[in-house]
Amino acid sequence: MLKIIIPTIMLIPLTWMSKPNMIWINTTTYGLLISLISLFYLNQPNDNTLNSSLMFFSDSLSAPLLALTTWLLPLMLMASQHHLSKEPLTRKKLYISMLILLQLFLIMTFTASELIFFYILFEATLIPTLIIITRWGSQTERLNAGLYFLFYTLMGSLPLLVALLYIHNFMGSLNFLMIQYWIQPLPNSWSNIFLWLACMMAFMVKMPLYGLHLWLPKAHVEAPIAGSMVLAAVLLKLGGYGMMRITTLLNPLTNFMAYPFMMLSLWGMIMTSSICLRQTDLKSLIAYSSVSHMALVIVAVLIQTPWSYMGATALMIAHGLTSSMLFCLANSNYERIHSRTMILARGLQTLLPLMAAWWLLASLTNLALPPTINLIGELFVVMSSFSWSNITIILMGINIIITALYSLYMLITTQRGKYSHHIKNIKPSFTRENALMTLHLLPLLLLSLNPKIILGPIY
Amino acid sequence: MKPPILIIIMATIMTGTMIVMLSSHWLLIWIGFEMNMLAIIPILMKKYNPRAMEASTKYFLTQATASMLLMMGVTINLLYSGQWVVSKISNPIASIMMTTALTMKLGLSPFHFWVPEVTQGITLMSGMILLTWQKIAPMSILYQISPSINTNLLMLMALTSVLVGGWGGLNQTQLRKIMAYSSIAHMGWMAAIITYNPTMMVLNLTLYILMTLSTFMLFMLNSSTTTLSLSHMWNKFPLITSMILILMLSLGGLPPLSGFIPKWMIIQELTKNNMIIIPTLMAITALLNLYFYLRLTYSTALTMFPSTNNMKMKWQFEYTKKATLLPPLIITSTMLLPLTPMLSVLD
Repeated sequence: MLKIIIPTIMLIPLTWMSKPNMIWINTTTYGLLISLISLFYLNQPNDNTLNSSLMFFSDSLSAPLLALTTWLLPLMLMASQHHLSKEPLTRKKLYISMLILLQLFLIMTFTASELIFFYILFEATLIPTLIIITRWGSQTERLNAGLYFLFYTLMGSLPLLVALLYIHNFMGSLNFLMIQYWIQPLPNSWSNIFLWLACMMAFMVKMPLYGLHLWLPKAHVEAPIAGSMVLAAVLLKLGGYGMMRITTLLNPLTNFMAYPFMMLSLWGMIMTSSICLRQTDLKSLIAYSSVSHMALVIVAVLIQTPWSYMGATALMIAHGLTSSMLFCLANSNYERIHSRTMILARGLQTLLPLMAAWWLLASLTNLALPPTINLIGELFVVMSSFSWSNITIILMGINIIITALYSLYMLITTQRGKYSHHIKNIKPSFTRENALMTLHLLPLLLLSLNPKIILGPIY
Repeated sequence: MKPPILIIIMATIMTGTMIVMLSSHWLLIWIGFEMNMLAIIPILMKKYNPRAMEASTKYFLTQATASMLLMMGVTINLLYSGQWVVSKISNPIASIMMTTALTMKLGLSPFHFWVPEVTQGITLMSGMILLTWQKIAPMSILYQISPSINTNLLMLMALTSVLVGGWGGLNQTQLRKIMAYSSIAHMGWMAAIITYNPTMMVLNLTLYILMTLSTFMLFMLNSSTTTLSLSHMWNKFPLITSMILILMLSLGGLPPLSGFIPKWMIIQELTKNNMIIIPTLMAITALLNLYFYLRLTYSTALTMFPSTNNMKMKWQFEYTKKATLLPPLIITSTMLLPLTPMLSVLD
């Protein structure tokens, strides 16, 4: 694992010591090379995990997420080039260093093998994200957004610390590989209920669960483009990944405790999808769509069947790429008209036809068109929740319809129809933007040819 | 203050604390406390204004009362055990009196009222000495009598201190008062595990002193005592603003900075002793602390505070303020987390 971590650390001296006109080129290139290294971990033999050392390991659940994280760094750097072009050199280097630091913490989080190590890095990812949102966001609401983001997450995760230390004392070790063999069933009692809550609330807030999702629209909207990309694509998946790891310790109490959260997620996904239909702010629409997709992942993880775990993993990877791509598209709009209001930039298909093609593909993957991996994820989750309880098919069906509705609404409002008059002066699409969209879309489409690498450890 | 006098006073302060830490006779410990207190009064009164005099009077009154309470506890212990040596105190009355006296010296709740007012009335340098060096002596005595301290009393004091430290600091903009409330909260964390594992208290004290020294030195670089003056730092020392950011996050106890080490270790020790609710409550209340540190970083490093245009053009004088040992202090206050397994040297 050091072969990924040390190069990532070394990216920081690379930014600070490169020539001023080479900082973006250098970091993007080396970031892409590092992501090639992480692809080696996708080759997982059988059921075993690949243990790299005492502290790091990778299995078929963490390897796709690791590949997603390392793939995203060069994409973030490409996306940030425009809005940072006017800043002084030191601030550019600081921004890139924050992104690299965040990348480093994320890599270590996804490959951590001990739960307290995972916790420390889970919290550590908050600091660079807070700095990126609060320092480089564009509106005054970013201060509030940073506060909400930090405190919602910390409120959830401090009980997790206490619970992990308690489990450590109880079980003797928190090394994830060893603890699989020592698990004892968790009976139903008041103190065990609080233990379950303490363990899960941190990840519920991070996912986010419907009632605790207030931080997400604020943070996603106020963050600069790289912040939004990494928030939507990776940081939400930290919650899903953590939940999947820690539910191994919490059986069979999960069957009893899961009901309120299932209800919240099932209702919440419909609510947030419906809110998307009434949004005027483009980034806010994509943020609420993230909540809706993540609610599906929560449902899948709480059901705990093999199909649902496969669906959850596939959905996490697919949603990461799709959501990040949608944020890049929204940002390309924002950079031209400096407003996030959807109706201000209409009819873009006549002016930027290639970008309209990317918008079409992104919206289609967002609404889970076959045969993309988004569909595989959603379908597996729908089927497994149907086997858990027949009635959920109604809610899932309504959700799929409303998802299609708002994705197409977003597409039609921004691309089709007569263009608004003031956007005749916008610059044509840059090659950088087209490359960005291609790099998002290519993994998404190619994975539909071989989805078994993202189907997780149960496959 | 003339240099020879300053040297004598500083030497007396240090000697006083050394006498407290190194002696095993209760009378000598009391003598050490009194020496320390009397010598620090002129330091607190360096600036000759009524506010400083009020601060030093308040300090003197509380510390003298606490010393007398300590002496009473010592005498009762002498009555029941017949010896002056510092050892396990079998009489509960004596132990409660000593604990109360020492917590009064430290500024733990409910005896915390003097800390913000005294810290506010004195200069930044004196405040630094007050909040760091003066905590060493009472803590060392608490360490020595830790087997005989009444856990309920100290845990109650610790819990209320963390609450007071968190809530009290919320409405402050004066940096010295913010640091005073931060001191109350950190002392609360330290007091919570003295009876369970005193080594963690030493760890917390060491890291707290390192972080507070760094913070005060960064404030002294700009001679800033209010949030407003701290917010002008981006103009003169942009690097220092990033340092303040990291330091404040470390004081708040965020991983992966070293301020997280004491919180992690203390929660671990408390859970080992089957207490779950108290560390959860303390950890969540520490978030209040984090809120006002974060507010400081917002105004300093992350936003450009509204200021008039002539504030933005500062005279670029030559850099003359002495910041002793600032780089190592900052590094130890923020990057020590990977070295946590080295904790065993503290035993």
